[in-house]
Amino acid sequence: MGAMTLYVKQRSPVHSMDPLTKILYVIVSIAVTYILRELWAIAAMTAVTFLLLVIGKVFRKIIPVLGLSLLLIVSIIVVQGFFNPENETVLFELGFLTFYEEGMRAAALFTLRILNMIGSFGVLILTTKPDDLVESLIKRGFSPRFGYILLSVLQLIPQMSATMGKITDAQRSRGMETDGNLWVRTKAFFPLIVPVVLNSLNETRERAIALEVRGFSSKGKRTFLNVTEDYPYRHVIRGVLLAVLIGAIVWRVWT
Amino acid sequence: MSIIQVQELKYRYPDTERLALDNVSFEIEQGEFIGIVGRNKSGKSTLCYALAGLAPHFFGGGYGGKVVVNGLEIRASEIEEITSDVGLVFENPFSQMTGSKFTVFEEIAFGLENKGIDRTEMVQRIEESLFLLDIEEIKNKNPFSLSGGQMQRVAIASVIAMKPNVLILDEPTSQLDPQGSEDVFRVVENLAKEGITIVMAEHKIEKVAQYSDRVLLLDDGKLVDINTPEHIFSRDDLETHGILAPAATRIAQALDIRDPLTGLYPVTLAGIQRQRGEI
Repeated sequence: MGAMTLYVKQRSPVHSMDPLTKILYVIVSIAVTYILRELWAIAAMTAVTFLLLVIGKVFRKIIPVLGLSLLLIVSIIVVQGFFNPENETVLFELGFLTFYEEGMRAAALFTLRILNMIGSFGVLILTTKPDDLVESLIKRGFSPRFGYILLSVLQLIPQMSATMGKITDAQRSRGMETDGNLWVRTKAFFPLIVPVVLNSLNETRERAIALEVRGFSSKGKRTFLNVTEDYPYRHVIRGVLLAVLIGAIVWRVWT
Repeated sequence: MSIIQVQELKYRYPDTERLALDNVSFEIEQGEFIGIVGRNKSGKSTLCYALAGLAPHFFGGGYGGKVVVNGLEIRASEIEEITSDVGLVFENPFSQMTGSKFTVFEEIAFGLENKGIDRTEMVQRIEESLFLLDIEEIKNKNPFSLSGGQMQRVAIASVIAMKPNVLILDEPTSQLDPQGSEDVFRVVENLAKEGITIVMAEHKIEKVAQYSDRVLLLDDGKLVDINTPEHIFSRDDLETHGILAPAATRIAQALDIRDPLTGLYPVTLAGIQRQRGEI
């Protein structure tokens, strides 16, 4: 069973960008869409995010995630279109439904912000190896323990679900009903969850010992196997991102 | 001077009354391969943990006596110092994988990264460990995609890469198939030849008899005996300590094949053949 990671292995300019620059992009792009109220500016930011997804050859991977947020987007359009308190100018009517310009503007604003947020996290997560991401944070003073937790869940949760499958099979082979209506499933829950939890506790204890004997608690300076070459354009890109952020703040204050 | 000195060691786990180790004393020389045998709950794992410093540093509990490993007094030392000298491998290979590394190569690097080993030396040590454990062909695989035997070899490689003087193994083959077990014993025997002191708790008596220089017999937390396999498995009271002698020894006993000088029974098939003058 593989790791629970969304990373897509590809060769692209976005993949070769260093993780910290991508984290800064996520922060700046989300912040800008919330700082500014101009639809064109938010649309431009969202377009940049989706352009990065296309350049990173991961656009198709983000579509299912966008699909999941469709319900939220539709409900925003309906609620804002009908019930926005500033609704005055009628935009169009569909039978007995009246959509107002003010409401639709607000709905477009929220929709673009959501799309940009999903897209920018997609840029980071789909194009960055999880261990590269965490290692770059640890090198910047992030706690190695917290980094370990972030990385280990990616692999240990699929392993736990595999254990759950084995235990379910073992209990089924002893005649326990695990499929059926809600009552049957509820009855099966405790005989399944107790061995899963006990097994996990035991493995966690053993894993803690294994980590301890491999120097996990060492207080000295750590080294890293993976060499991360300095991304040549990091200063330029980070500078542009910070300029955009400052520009957005100034624009918001002045207008 | 012995690399491991254990003097009147007593240990009790937290919130328990019973002594898991009761007045245990012995010494081990550098490069020796010591097999620890005994029934379940006899104290084998606890002794392994005490030699690796986990008892008392990780588990807490009551501790008495003295354990010195490679000049380090375990009780007075930091676990960080101890882990530089002592490696520990245990039963379940799955729970020894860190879970935070995505290839075998990176998994072996984990301990070296924690210890701050220079990258060039790190890569060299990983390559050596992969070679020693004969797992070079799986170095780019995900540790969780491996078989139990392969995973256990990765666990041993991860510990060996840290260049311990003493390697402690707590039932490392109990979840492995016969071939996997044989591979682990061979690898460990080679490590002993390289000068690493091996202490292995194990239920597979035939293997312990075949590979150990000396066998340490524990029962109810007490040291019954530490001696050559022939001495230990020729004891009349072996079964009262929950141990069945190796098949070769039982055959030799039935046929009264023994060493004419010592009066001890052989512990392997080769030993029987030697006594019969066949090899």
